[in-house]
Amino acid sequence: MLFKSNFVLEIINNSIMKRALIALVVSLIVLASAALWFFKMEKSVTTPELLTFGIIIVLVGFGLYFAYIRFTGARRDEPPEDELSKKMLQKTAAWSYYISLYMWVFMIWLKDRVTLDTEQVLGAGILSMAVIFFLCWVVIRFRGLRNE
Amino acid sequence: MNNRIREFRARHDMTQDDLAKKVNVRRETIVFLEKNKYNPSLKLAHDIARVFGVAIEDIFLFDN
Repeated sequence: MLFKSNFVLEIINNSIMKRALIALVVSLIVLASAALWFFKMEKSVTTPELLTFGIIIVLVGFGLYFAYIRFTGARRDEPPEDELSKKMLQKTAAWSYYISLYMWVFMIWLKDRVTLDTEQVLGAGILSMAVIFFLCWVVIRFRGLRNE
Repeated sequence: MNNRIREFRARHDMTQDDLAKKVNVRRETIVFLEKNKYNPSLKLAHDIARVFGVAIEDIFLFDN
Protein backbone atom coordinates (compact mmCIF):
# COMPACT_ATOMS: atom_id res chain seq x y z
CA MET A 1 0.00 0.00 0.00
CA LEU A 2 2.86 2.33 0.96
CA PHE A 3 4.64 1.41 -2.28
CA LYS A 4 1.49 2.20 -4.24
CA SER A 5 1.05 5.61 -2.61
CA ASN A 6 4.74 6.45 -3.18
CA PHE A 7 4.34 5.48 -6.82
CA VAL A 8 1.28 7.72 -7.20
CA LEU A 9 3.11 10.61 -5.49
CA GLU A 10 6.08 10.09 -7.83
CA ILE A 11 3.79 10.46 -10.84
CA ILE A 12 2.01 13.52 -9.42
CA ASN A 13 5.29 15.32 -8.63
CA ASN A 14 7.00 14.50 -11.90
CA SER A 15 5.71 16.39 -14.97
CA ILE A 16 7.47 13.99 -17.39
CA MET A 17 5.75 11.03 -15.76
CA LYS A 18 2.46 12.91 -15.98
CA ARG A 19 2.95 13.30 -19.73
CA ALA A 20 3.86 9.62 -20.05
CA LEU A 21 0.69 8.76 -18.13
CA ILE A 22 -1.40 10.93 -20.49
CA ALA A 23 0.13 9.13 -23.51
CA LEU A 24 -0.67 5.81 -21.84
CA VAL A 25 -4.29 6.79 -21.10
CA VAL A 26 -4.86 8.15 -24.66
CA SER A 27 -3.39 4.97 -26.18
CA LEU A 28 -5.63 2.80 -24.02
CA ILE A 29 -8.73 4.87 -24.89
CA VAL A 30 -7.95 4.51 -28.62
CA LEU A 31 -7.42 0.78 -28.14
CA ALA A 32 -10.68 0.40 -26.19
CA SER A 33 -12.67 2.40 -28.81
CA ALA A 34 -11.18 0.33 -31.65
CA ALA A 35 -11.94 -2.92 -29.82
CA LEU A 36 -15.51 -1.77 -29.12
CA TRP A 37 -16.01 -0.87 -32.82
CA PHE A 38 -14.45 -4.13 -33.98
CA PHE A 39 -16.27 -6.53 -31.67
CA LYS A 40 -19.67 -4.79 -31.85
CA MET A 41 -19.80 -4.98 -35.65
CA GLU A 42 -23.05 -6.60 -36.75
CA LYS A 43 -22.03 -7.76 -40.20
CA SER A 44 -19.07 -10.05 -40.87
CA VAL A 45 -15.60 -8.51 -40.79
CA THR A 46 -14.17 -7.51 -44.17
CA THR A 47 -10.45 -7.41 -45.05
CA PRO A 48 -10.17 -3.55 -45.07
CA GLU A 49 -11.75 -3.44 -41.60
CA LEU A 50 -9.35 -6.09 -40.35
CA LEU A 51 -6.46 -4.14 -41.86
CA THR A 52 -7.66 -0.91 -40.21
CA PHE A 53 -7.92 -2.66 -36.85
CA GLY A 54 -4.41 -4.12 -37.30
CA ILE A 55 -2.95 -0.68 -38.12
CA ILE A 56 -4.63 0.83 -35.05
CA ILE A 57 -3.13 -1.92 -32.88
CA VAL A 58 0.37 -1.21 -34.28
CA LEU A 59 -0.02 2.55 -33.70
CA VAL A 60 -1.28 2.02 -30.15
CA GLY A 61 1.73 -0.24 -29.57
CA PHE A 62 3.94 2.61 -30.82
CA GLY A 63 2.22 5.03 -28.40
CA LEU A 64 2.65 2.62 -25.50
CA TYR A 65 6.34 2.17 -26.38
CA PHE A 66 6.81 5.97 -26.35
CA ALA A 67 5.07 6.17 -22.96
CA TYR A 68 7.28 3.36 -21.63
CA ILE A 69 10.49 5.11 -22.83
CA ARG A 70 9.42 8.38 -21.21
CA PHE A 71 8.43 6.62 -18.00
CA THR A 72 11.66 4.63 -17.57
CA GLY A 73 13.73 7.69 -18.56
CA ALA A 74 11.98 9.79 -15.92
CA ARG A 75 12.62 7.15 -13.26
CA ARG A 76 16.34 7.23 -14.15
CA ASP A 77 16.31 11.06 -13.88
CA GLU A 78 17.12 11.45 -17.57
CA PRO A 79 16.15 14.67 -19.36
CA PRO A 80 12.86 14.16 -21.28
CA GLU A 81 14.43 15.61 -24.41
CA ASP A 82 17.97 16.18 -25.58
CA GLU A 83 19.59 17.28 -28.84
CA LEU A 84 19.36 13.81 -30.43
CA SER A 85 15.68 13.24 -29.60
CA LYS A 86 14.78 16.77 -30.80
CA LYS A 87 16.67 16.33 -34.08
CA MET A 88 15.17 12.88 -34.58
CA LEU A 89 11.65 14.21 -34.06
CA GLN A 90 12.27 17.16 -36.40
CA LYS A 91 13.66 14.89 -39.11
CA THR A 92 10.78 12.40 -38.70
CA ALA A 93 8.23 15.23 -38.92
CA ALA A 94 9.90 16.69 -42.03
CA TRP A 95 10.11 13.33 -43.82
CA SER A 96 6.57 12.27 -42.93
CA TYR A 97 5.13 15.66 -44.00
CA TYR A 98 6.88 15.40 -47.35
CA ILE A 99 5.76 11.79 -47.95
CA SER A 100 2.21 12.57 -46.74
CA LEU A 101 1.82 15.19 -49.48
CA TYR A 102 2.36 12.48 -52.09
CA MET A 103 0.03 10.15 -50.20
CA TRP A 104 -2.79 12.75 -50.34
CA VAL A 105 -2.19 13.25 -54.08
CA PHE A 106 -2.53 9.47 -54.46
CA MET A 107 -5.75 9.50 -52.38
CA ILE A 108 -7.23 12.21 -54.63
CA TRP A 109 -6.24 10.18 -57.70
CA LEU A 110 -7.79 7.06 -56.12
CA LYS A 111 -11.03 8.87 -55.18
CA ASP A 112 -11.75 9.57 -58.86
CA ARG A 113 -11.37 5.90 -59.76
CA VAL A 114 -12.84 4.02 -56.80
CA THR A 115 -16.17 4.77 -55.15
CA LEU A 116 -15.34 5.87 -51.63
CA ASP A 117 -17.18 7.94 -49.00
CA THR A 118 -15.51 11.18 -47.91
CA GLU A 119 -15.33 9.74 -44.37
CA GLN A 120 -13.52 6.68 -45.67
CA VAL A 121 -11.03 8.77 -47.64
CA LEU A 122 -10.32 11.04 -44.66
CA GLY A 123 -10.07 8.10 -42.23
CA ALA A 124 -7.70 6.20 -44.51
CA GLY A 125 -5.64 9.37 -45.08
CA ILE A 126 -5.26 10.15 -41.38
CA LEU A 127 -4.39 6.54 -40.59
CA SER A 128 -1.86 6.50 -43.46
CA MET A 129 -0.25 9.67 -42.12
CA ALA A 130 0.21 8.00 -38.73
CA VAL A 131 1.70 4.91 -40.39
CA ILE A 132 4.05 7.09 -42.49
CA PHE A 133 5.21 8.90 -39.33
CA PHE A 134 5.83 5.57 -37.58
CA LEU A 135 7.79 4.15 -40.54
CA CYS A 136 9.89 7.32 -40.91
CA TRP A 137 10.73 7.18 -37.19
CA VAL A 138 11.79 3.52 -37.47
CA VAL A 139 13.96 4.20 -40.56
CA ILE A 140 15.66 7.24 -38.99
CA ARG A 141 16.27 5.33 -35.77
CA PHE A 142 18.02 2.49 -37.61
CA ARG A 143 19.84 4.77 -40.04
CA GLY A 144 21.03 7.26 -37.43
CA LEU A 145 21.59 10.98 -37.89
CA ARG A 146 25.08 11.28 -39.29
CA ASN A 147 26.22 14.42 -41.11
CA GLU A 148 23.05 16.36 -40.32
CA MET B 1 33.56 11.67 -38.23
CA ASN B 2 34.58 8.89 -35.84
CA ASN B 3 35.03 9.05 -32.11
CA ARG B 4 36.83 7.34 -29.23
CA ILE B 5 34.15 7.80 -26.58
CA ARG B 6 33.94 4.08 -25.76
CA GLU B 7 37.72 3.91 -25.29
CA PHE B 8 37.83 6.97 -23.02
CA ARG B 9 34.80 5.75 -21.07
CA ALA B 10 36.52 2.40 -20.41
CA ARG B 11 39.70 4.22 -19.38
CA HIS B 12 37.74 6.27 -16.83
CA ASP B 13 35.71 3.23 -15.72
CA MET B 14 32.49 5.00 -16.59
CA THR B 15 29.18 3.55 -17.76
CA GLN B 16 27.10 5.03 -20.57
CA ASP B 17 24.60 6.10 -17.94
CA ASP B 18 27.30 7.92 -15.92
CA LEU B 19 28.55 9.82 -18.96
CA ALA B 20 25.00 10.65 -20.06
CA LYS B 21 24.23 12.14 -16.63
CA LYS B 22 27.47 14.17 -16.62
CA VAL B 23 26.73 15.79 -19.98
CA ASN B 24 22.96 15.98 -19.36
CA VAL B 25 21.72 13.85 -22.26
CA ARG B 26 19.78 10.60 -22.51
CA ARG B 27 21.73 7.32 -22.42
CA GLU B 28 20.42 6.62 -25.92
CA THR B 29 22.43 9.60 -27.23
CA ILE B 30 25.67 8.08 -25.90
CA VAL B 31 24.74 4.76 -27.54
CA PHE B 32 24.17 6.53 -30.89
CA LEU B 33 27.46 8.42 -30.55
CA GLU B 34 29.46 5.28 -29.80
CA LYS B 35 27.93 3.51 -32.79
CA ASN B 36 28.86 6.51 -34.96
CA LYS B 37 25.20 7.00 -35.84
CA TYR B 38 25.10 10.61 -34.69
CA ASN B 39 27.42 13.59 -34.98
CA PRO B 40 27.07 15.70 -31.82
CA SER B 41 26.71 19.46 -31.59
CA LEU B 42 29.81 21.47 -30.78
CA LYS B 43 28.51 22.02 -27.24
CA LEU B 44 27.99 18.31 -26.57
CA ALA B 45 31.40 17.46 -28.05
CA HIS B 46 32.95 20.13 -25.80
CA ASP B 47 31.10 18.80 -22.72
CA ILE B 48 32.22 15.22 -23.41
CA ALA B 49 35.83 16.31 -23.93
CA ARG B 50 35.70 18.28 -20.68
CA VAL B 51 34.41 15.25 -18.74
CA PHE B 52 37.46 13.27 -19.89
CA GLY B 53 39.81 16.23 -19.47
CA VAL B 54 41.07 16.20 -23.06
CA ALA B 55 40.71 18.32 -26.19
CA ILE B 56 37.80 17.74 -28.60
CA GLU B 57 40.11 16.52 -31.37
CA ASP B 58 41.47 13.79 -29.06
CA ILE B 59 38.02 12.21 -28.90
CA PHE B 60 36.43 13.16 -32.20
CA LEU B 61 38.41 12.19 -35.27
CA PHE B 62 37.55 14.16 -38.38
CA ASP B 63 37.83 12.55 -41.81
CA ASN B 64 39.87 14.28 -44.49
